[in-house]
Amino acid sequence: MKKLPKILLIITLIGGSLVYWIQNQPPPIDEAARQAGEQLATKGRDNIPACTTCHGSKGEGNFAANFPRLAGLHPDYIIKQLQDYARDPLQTGVKLEPIARDYSKTPRIYSDLTVYTPGTRKDPIMNNIAKALTPTDRKNLATYFSTLPFQATPQPVDFQTLERGADLALRGKPEYGLPSCDSCHGPDGKGFGPYFPPLAGQPPQYLIDQINKWQTGKRDNDSLALMQNIANQLTDGDKMNAAAYFSNRSLIVNWK
Amino acid sequence: MKLQLILLWLILISSIGLAQELDPLEVRPSLATPRLSIPTNLTTVPVVNPGEYFVPPYVEDIPDDNFGELVKIGRNIFVNTQKYGKRYVGNGLNCTNCHLSEGRKANAAPLWAAYGLYPMYRHKNKEVVTFEERIQDCFKYSLDGIAPMVDSPEMEALVAYAHWLSKGVPVGIALPGRGFTPIKKTRTPSTENGEILYKTQCAICHGKDGLGYKYEDDRPGYMFPPLWGPDSFNRAAGMNKVKTAAQFIKANMPLGKGFTLTDDEALDIGLYMWIQSRPYDPRRSIITNIFMPPPGGCE
Repeated sequence: MKKLPKILLIITLIGGSLVYWIQNQPPPIDEAARQAGEQLATKGRDNIPACTTCHGSKGEGNFAANFPRLAGLHPDYIIKQLQDYARDPLQTGVKLEPIARDYSKTPRIYSDLTVYTPGTRKDPIMNNIAKALTPTDRKNLATYFSTLPFQATPQPVDFQTLERGADLALRGKPEYGLPSCDSCHGPDGKGFGPYFPPLAGQPPQYLIDQINKWQTGKRDNDSLALMQNIANQLTDGDKMNAAAYFSNRSLIVNWK
Repeated sequence: MKLQLILLWLILISSIGLAQELDPLEVRPSLATPRLSIPTNLTTVPVVNPGEYFVPPYVEDIPDDNFGELVKIGRNIFVNTQKYGKRYVGNGLNCTNCHLSEGRKANAAPLWAAYGLYPMYRHKNKEVVTFEERIQDCFKYSLDGIAPMVDSPEMEALVAYAHWLSKGVPVGIALPGRGFTPIKKTRTPSTENGEILYKTQCAICHGKDGLGYKYEDDRPGYMFPPLWGPDSFNRAAGMNKVKTAAQFIKANMPLGKGFTLTDDEALDIGLYMWIQSRPYDPRRSIITNIFMPPPGGCE
């Protein structure tokens, strides 16, 4: 009679910890999708060239030719970018839509106008490749590249550039109301969640090119137009300093 | 006969259309302020003009002496309160979650605009408080913890950081950019509208449940701070006042896109935050906390 509550307590504790452990396990990798993604990424298909020819054999990117790394990026981010590459850019001209219904689109705010545009990414190479991919292909590729290990090689940067880049990355430009890079892209630019991609381990010229694309309107697939607003306040020097700072960061993802 | 059939068909269709209730989220993100939906190539313009606000000294210019050491410790506590000030903190927040850009950003309660104004009369305390006593209130309410003594090393370091940051500000003068931004209510705030706005504008960072996101590595604290729940500020915090929260939201949120929400929309989100559960008011008894509405509602 006296032993029963004790046993119950022990069972509850063990069961509780087991449930906690199971719930905190990372979701298992879809092995079939990963292998299909690897097949497509390394061999290509029909008119789709292999991803690895530009993005590196392990998805590590190419610093010399400005091809971004894909290894260790969030799978949802990869899928979204491929969708946006495949989407045709908006028709020019003004179309009145009294009721905006598609909330997967990004709201754009200009004084009292909220403008809904589907995000697009203009790129001469990627647009055609992404249009040839099926939704399953995108998922497979995202699974493959998000599970690849990656280790960044910190680039040597001169002290003044590094100091200015760090100032921008840690504090932003508060006198202009500009938040720091790290406040969204994670500490040391490691990236955070599906919406905020990593900046560390990317070729610096690639980062500069992307900000230039935001400024010129060639890329506008950011959530809530956050990055567009920030890009519009960056000078050429800011871009170079911040990109150099992030190329100087060390980073290890998925490494076992 | 044919005409009658067509008429009947039209009436039937229109009655179906009337019977279907539209989900407010399907109609418009903000019901209160109707906006046109026109695709344009217009870009937003920065709202902050250079030279409008005081510019504090740069981190690289911290002096290389004992004072500089104290300033660096104070900056560490301010930026990473979860690590360097943890013994006084009861929730998951850092000072920089409200005082953005390390306490430098105008309209985000910058330290340089506050430091020269103390000692100052505060309605909350109903007395003239010093800067140290004001920081104590931050720890008690916004950080839901215990107040450090005015002569504790943490307090001395924080005061040194604020002192260094406000080098050259006039004493006793309210500088532009002080506190948050003034707002004006033109209608009663609504929680329904606040919920819609929260889901469309805030949830991407602070989470659909408002509990924020922790760092993915093992560092303590939150990447995106919780807006309510056990790890957020308590009911006595200034941010639990609908008006104060709305002032902060209007000036600073979504991060990098300050001043894009209207005053009423900011108040809607503030009210939506206020109705959520959060730690109790430490000034009140437990019975009062449970059975009375929390302080800071809209008047």
